[in-house]
Amino acid sequence: MEAIIRIEKASKCINRGRPNEIWPVKDVSLQILRGEVVVLKGPSGSGKTSLLSLIGCMSRPTEGRILIHGRDVAKLPERFLTDIRRRLFGFIFQQFNLIQGITVRENIMLPLYPTERSFRDMKDRAEELMESLGIIERQHFRVKGLSGGEQQRVAIARALINDPEVVLADEPTAHLDTKLSKDLIEILRKLKGEGKTIVIATHDPLVYEQDIIDRIIEMRDGRIR
Amino acid sequence: MKYRVFISIIMIEIIVISGLFITAAGMVEKRQKEIEAKKKIVRVLRLTDLSIWTEARYTRHPSQADWFAPFQDYPSSIEHFPAGSILYPSALSEVERDQK
Amino acid sequence: MIKHLKILEFAISSLWRRKFKNLGIIFVFSLIIFVLSSILLLTYSFKKEAIAVLEGAPELIVQRISAGRHALMPVEYMKKVEKIPGVGAVIPRLWGYYYDISTGGNYTVMAEYSGLKDLVNIMEGGFTGEKGTCIIGKGISDARFAGIGSIIPIIGADGKVRKLKTAGIFTDESRIITNDLIIVTPDDFRDIFNLPDNMVTDIVVQVYNPTEVDNVARKIKKILPDTRPITKNEILRTYDTLFDWRSGMVLTMFLGAILAFIILAWDKATGLSAEERHEIGILKAIGWETSDVMELKFWEGLVISSLSFLTGLIGGYVHIFFFGASVFSPALKGWSVIFPEFHLMPYINPYQIVVLLFMTVIPYMAATIVPSWKAAITDPDVVMRG
Repeated sequence: MEAIIRIEKASKCINRGRPNEIWPVKDVSLQILRGEVVVLKGPSGSGKTSLLSLIGCMSRPTEGRILIHGRDVAKLPERFLTDIRRRLFGFIFQQFNLIQGITVRENIMLPLYPTERSFRDMKDRAEELMESLGIIERQHFRVKGLSGGEQQRVAIARALINDPEVVLADEPTAHLDTKLSKDLIEILRKLKGEGKTIVIATHDPLVYEQDIIDRIIEMRDGRIR
Repeated sequence: MKYRVFISIIMIEIIVISGLFITAAGMVEKRQKEIEAKKKIVRVLRLTDLSIWTEARYTRHPSQADWFAPFQDYPSSIEHFPAGSILYPSALSEVERDQK
Repeated sequence: MIKHLKILEFAISSLWRRKFKNLGIIFVFSLIIFVLSSILLLTYSFKKEAIAVLEGAPELIVQRISAGRHALMPVEYMKKVEKIPGVGAVIPRLWGYYYDISTGGNYTVMAEYSGLKDLVNIMEGGFTGEKGTCIIGKGISDARFAGIGSIIPIIGADGKVRKLKTAGIFTDESRIITNDLIIVTPDDFRDIFNLPDNMVTDIVVQVYNPTEVDNVARKIKKILPDTRPITKNEILRTYDTLFDWRSGMVLTMFLGAILAFIILAWDKATGLSAEERHEIGILKAIGWETSDVMELKFWEGLVISSLSFLTGLIGGYVHIFFFGASVFSPALKGWSVIFPEFHLMPYINPYQIVVLLFMTVIPYMAATIVPSWKAAITDPDVVMRG
């Protein structure tokens, strides 16, 4: 199997050189293969989220290398990182990070605004996703009035609108009850079936004990155990 | 599409403004007659000033007022009339400047 | 191309979320543009008209000054001026002011010598030059509800009332020069004000060669040191500086508007809330580049400022040229009782409009874009940490 992402001895430092200096990620090396479903498991503060943002090119490592399709991205200018983020990754954030006040459909189409794809194209793709996630009748609602589960689906639809190879999810079940969490697993199962690579940061047994998980990486104090 | 609404509003406003400005030019042309008529009144009556502020001599006839005009009613009076804040002191002539 | 339109679309959606706030900003911003453009249009039109109309003013007027006051001029002065080479006719003027107790207004009374029949088509009625008749401006006609044939009572210097019969009224269009005028015959004038026959108010000096006016003025000043010559150029210069930006009211309104604008811009510049910052983070995280975020902010600024600018400008134009500056007129009027309605000619100076554009829209755009810049260049992973 081909490795989509390879991380070599990466470390991330915050507030470097100041008294409150911390290293959320320390000396981590790992590979993620195409089509894999990987869980980053560990208590809160173990560096899962920081590692996830390194994987997703949202931040750069202080030390070490991050190779995406064999290319070191750590030193690339911001523009290229954005481009990689847009083409390769879909993010599902813990807080959903939806934009309040605009409609569900606009939220879902958000990643495609600064592209040359036509409105029609965007709308069709968004409708397709809303259909498959069962939120089509909510498309003209504002995000504020939605339930937690619906908001999560909107966030998932937004993550999938650019048809990413890799889906990154940060504590996806943190704000969901058991039933909704199970629904989420079903969505992830479907995505796996479509051949997506999925990386989930979680400490919820409901997630990492599922059969769809290929591999569990345990983290503590910024290191892999 | 909201941007269409926005662009339409902007276009309408631009058309209105262009329309106003273009008709303004035409209006000025057309109303030259009025200007000519007024010029004639000025010439015949030997007028020197616009009849705008009638509250004091120096506001009614700013061009005829010497620099002391605002102070003539009371020696130490400072600017009293609102129009005085709009008007400039009358231009001092070359001749008067020669004398100073 | 489609990308820019889509970002514009999102910018409008984004603005629409806070409709009351943003419509409020558009309203205030439009109001500022309205005030500023009204001032610019009014002053420019005023100046242009004054200069065009006063082009007909006498080339040279000579007044007598006594103890720093305008004084009556003996007719002998006229003979002395006539002898100066290059001087054509010397024409006496009789004019003065009359305070009308019943209306509380000041009138300008003038005696006309000749030429009034030339004006017959510019006024209602006519002037026969008969003793005891007068022509009045529209302002006086309005103040006294006087029509043709009405009697205007004037209290003379001896305390006795003269009843002048209105023979003519100047047209509404000529208000700006004739509003407060009463034209009477020279005999009536001398009778009303008890003016001796050997005195005139001032004199108009005709000079054959217009380029010689200053020289003639200099000579008059030499021969008659207690006089003050006023040339047409000075009259025009006086009106050219009318409503100069340094003048009090313009400055006050201008400063007020600018201050309000600075407050608005300041609020924008410092008011990048945590929420807005968070949103910029989300956009970056889902694949918007810094330049896309800046473009979004550019559109947001442009939507607000272009709408406001155009709306304010249209409002200003309508206010000045359709409604005769009615919003300003109470302030413009001051203590004048007789004050003209303006029928302003729509003179427009494109240069002023462009300056207005640059002085309002550009700072607003800067105030919108610059603060977002810092938020837009930070790493997007801050949103992951909530």
